[in-house]
Amino acid sequence: MEKRFDPIKDKTAEIIEAIMQSPDMPNDDELLFKIRLSVEEAAENIVQYAYAEGEGYVVVKTERTPTNLLIITLRDEGVPFNPLEQDDPDITLSAEDRQIGGLGIFLCKKLMDKVSYTFENKCNILIMEKQL
Amino acid sequence: MDVTIKNEGAKTLVTLQGRLDTTNASDFQNDIQPLMEGEKPDIEIDCTDMEYTSSQGLRMFLILQKSVLARQGQLVMKNMKPQVKEVFDITGFSNIIKII
Repeated sequence: MEKRFDPIKDKTAEIIEAIMQSPDMPNDDELLFKIRLSVEEAAENIVQYAYAEGEGYVVVKTERTPTNLLIITLRDEGVPFNPLEQDDPDITLSAEDRQIGGLGIFLCKKLMDKVSYTFENKCNILIMEKQL
Repeated sequence: MDVTIKNEGAKTLVTLQGRLDTTNASDFQNDIQPLMEGEKPDIEIDCTDMEYTSSQGLRMFLILQKSVLARQGQLVMKNMKPQVKEVFDITGFSNIIKII
């Protein structure tokens, strides 16, 4: 499945649905929960921050290999930004000391098997993988 | 996300129903505004029918917990579904909010 959204302003919900309705998705509710949450965090990041005013595109793609590895790719041509360089939140801190925010990409990393980022041909490419 | 808030004696009972995600987090913030007021709040949130929370939802629970602690109150969340509990565990939120 491959789909382009342009412009992406306010399209987070549509992007999530397009990916989650792909025939490459598994039937297992527990896996679907983890995939949806990861997709939401990744998509929301791009919609909010890739472009000024959300005036740009994102191309989402899903693939399932013969060994049942699900690969979800999000590509945008916004501000170059590697979300994986963000420090993980310190999850040992007390509520008083915890900072608000910074949990989205951390959740992606924890819920998917692998998350990687490359910058190619002026594009941010985020790849999330999950063994089904 | 449907939010019901009921006062029973000194306790505030909250029921959450549905999904908490990027599309409704700001509505949720308005819905829980009454919980941000008053001294020594004693809040119990029933999560039996809470299906999902994204980082936006977690953000709201942290804001609420910070506010409750600053007012010397207490916040308890109960009957969380296993998949939602896992999100709280992964992010360390199980250590900063009491879950029963």
